Amino acid sequence: MIEQTLFYIAAAVLVFAASAVITVRNPVVAALTLVLCFFCNAAIWLLLEAEFLAIVLVLVYVGAVMVLFLFVVMMLDINIAELRKGFSGFLPIGVTVALIMVISMVLVLASGYFAGPEYVPLKHAAEYSNTRELGLLLYSEYLYPFEIAGAILLVAIVAAIALTHRRAKNNKSPAPGTQVAVKREDRIRLVKMKTEQQS
Amino acid sequence: MALSAELYYLIPEIILLSGACLVLVLDAVLGKEQWSFTYTLTQLLLLATAGAILFVDPGQAVTVLGGNFILDPLGVLLKVSICLVALPVFFYGHDYNLEHGLHKGEYYILGLFAILGMLVMASAGTLLTVYLGLELLSLSLYAMVAMNRDSRMASEAAMKYFVLGALASGMLLYGISMLYGATGTLQLAGLANAIAGQTDNTLILTFGLIFVIVGIAFKLGAVPFHMWVPDVYEGAPTSVTLFISSVPKIAAFAMAMRVLVDGMQPLAGDWQGMLIILSVLSMIAGNVIAIAQTNIKRMFAYSTISHVGFLLLGIIAARPAGYAAAMFYVLVYSLMSMGGFAMVILLGRKGKEADLLEDFKGLSERSPWFAFVMLILMFSMAGVPPFLGFWAKWFVIMEVIRAGFPMLAGIAVFFSVIGAYYYIRIIKLMYFDKPLEMKAIKSSRQMRTVLSLNALSLLILGLWPPLLMALCLKAIGL
Amino acid sequence: MIALQQVLVLGAILFCISVAGIFINRKNVLILLMCIELMLLSVNLNFIAFSHFLGNIHGQVFVFFILTVAAAESAIGLAILVVLFRNRGTINVTELDSMKG
Repeated sequence: MIEQTLFYIAAAVLVFAASAVITVRNPVVAALTLVLCFFCNAAIWLLLEAEFLAIVLVLVYVGAVMVLFLFVVMMLDINIAELRKGFSGFLPIGVTVALIMVISMVLVLASGYFAGPEYVPLKHAAEYSNTRELGLLLYSEYLYPFEIAGAILLVAIVAAIALTHRRAKNNKSPAPGTQVAVKREDRIRLVKMKTEQQS
Repeated sequence: MALSAELYYLIPEIILLSGACLVLVLDAVLGKEQWSFTYTLTQLLLLATAGAILFVDPGQAVTVLGGNFILDPLGVLLKVSICLVALPVFFYGHDYNLEHGLHKGEYYILGLFAILGMLVMASAGTLLTVYLGLELLSLSLYAMVAMNRDSRMASEAAMKYFVLGALASGMLLYGISMLYGATGTLQLAGLANAIAGQTDNTLILTFGLIFVIVGIAFKLGAVPFHMWVPDVYEGAPTSVTLFISSVPKIAAFAMAMRVLVDGMQPLAGDWQGMLIILSVLSMIAGNVIAIAQTNIKRMFAYSTISHVGFLLLGIIAARPAGYAAAMFYVLVYSLMSMGGFAMVILLGRKGKEADLLEDFKGLSERSPWFAFVMLILMFSMAGVPPFLGFWAKWFVIMEVIRAGFPMLAGIAVFFSVIGAYYYIRIIKLMYFDKPLEMKAIKSSRQMRTVLSLNALSLLILGLWPPLLMALCLKAIGL
Repeated sequence: MIALQQVLVLGAILFCISVAGIFINRKNVLILLMCIELMLLSVNLNFIAFSHFLGNIHGQVFVFFILTVAAAESAIGLAILVVLFRNRGTINVTELDSMKG
């Protein structure tokens, strides 16, 4: 019973926050409501006994990805007033498409297929550790995907640096490499000259 | 099997990944002057990978690493062709980058990672590896499109590609989640078994299949999920367009084979219907809209869309012979598309892209040989015998008739005739119009040789099509 | 006790909200990126629900990888956004009209 109540509360806040993400005009507010979505989702995942992923969602998503979003929003100095215009133009189409989709999807999903006897959660023993189970699988059966995921993250690093890193054009600081490589002969010229007579 | 014995089959991927990391480090250390070194190393690496694939080829289907990795004759042929097609693609791309001052090692590094993603897709044994390979490929491509950072068009194209591509991945994932929910497995082989076991209620499976097909159609660029194709082709630097238009199509075919045939063959009746709609729409829209284009990169984009329509015909046949025909089509297509973009690169000069149709005016007066090369490419794309493109169309259409869809074959023939119009218009421009300028074409000797060989291969292989077809049939296991 | 169908319906609603968001916010690329995050979230919810009710942990492993990829994806998306902003001075997609779609 308590699980039901918690689920309904989290679900209601989740749907409300998700609708807010797509309708508010200010990207900062949208990012913050998206954070709320992640929190509600993490709560539902906890109810579904996916403890490790629920914590990862909060740590990685809220802690890193959403902060990145907020950082970009702040950095880009976006003209919000401009974005306000012309919003309602697509609203009717968007809402109609979404409504049709949601009705048909709900009809399919609630058709009784998923009420069968094979969809009954296992009762885990008290010492069952979700993290341990995931870790065991990740480093044995899923070793190959794990390596590919590493390559994907590397691509993200390379791409992000290649796209956004640029050297400042009006940078007047000398290159340290050339500075170190300078020899005595490059800087000092010894000139032989006669001693001048004092007149 | 011990882990080391399993890793034996992964040698090509390991070589490619460690090589790509090496190129990455060397490119960062070596500085701007030796940046052609990056290119040379890339080519050597691709050759080594192709050699390694042939070296570890077990000659039968081998499943290792928890079922995540499958190496079968289909995978071997597709992976070798991905590496070999990428060789000339990087060669042409390098020529373009030299000419247009895009001195960037990222082109080769991201390209290598994209190829790694394609290899992963081509030998994927679970839905998870299909997804990860696809993302490795797509993420590299998004970044490559935006590589020319000062071009407004390129960054717009990259943004469109990114948003639509991410949407497609989301759809694909939703479909995969439904398949997982209905069967409880991520393994493609297990999926096929589970589907065969539950024939009474396929509602959820079909529901998941719809989303999976939408995802695949987006990646292939089939109508009505083609919106990104023309913009990306036009907006990206030509060296990147060349890459996107040729190699990833082989990988997209591999993905369709793995997911639809390996994983969901028992649902063939359902996906056939969906693919027929995509195929017919692609052939119609691709061939008709291409006629209205004045930019040759956009024209090739619509031409790609129509070729995807034809490629799907072979899969629609849902029989091994049909898959072999589709594989033949995708290999031939990558050869033709590569040659077409290489011509655009050849005619372009520093600071000016030859991407308008009128740049081809009077080419026969400026260079009779390259007008002839373009003529071979255009005739082959249009499907005029005896060029290879004709046989590609012929095989898929015959397979569709054998599978019992004569109407579909009729539509395909009709639209390939309409499509011939815009290819032949280019030939008219080259041979019967006055050139806009009489400048001689400046290009390196290697570029001329490789491009000529590329076009002549379409003619020579076209004279004896069973040669390539035998390879495809063997890979499918016929 | 939560029923599987309840979670799936919630996932479907979330998925449709994100699709609607992509339709509505065609102009604002930042919100488009957030809609994509929302879509992946709904998929993850599905996987976790199935994983729980099937008593099969492989779905959670899939979610683990989706989270990784989504982080990489948003990094690249934001990088492209920054490049776009530097070139155009705006992230308004309706002004992305250099090319006819």
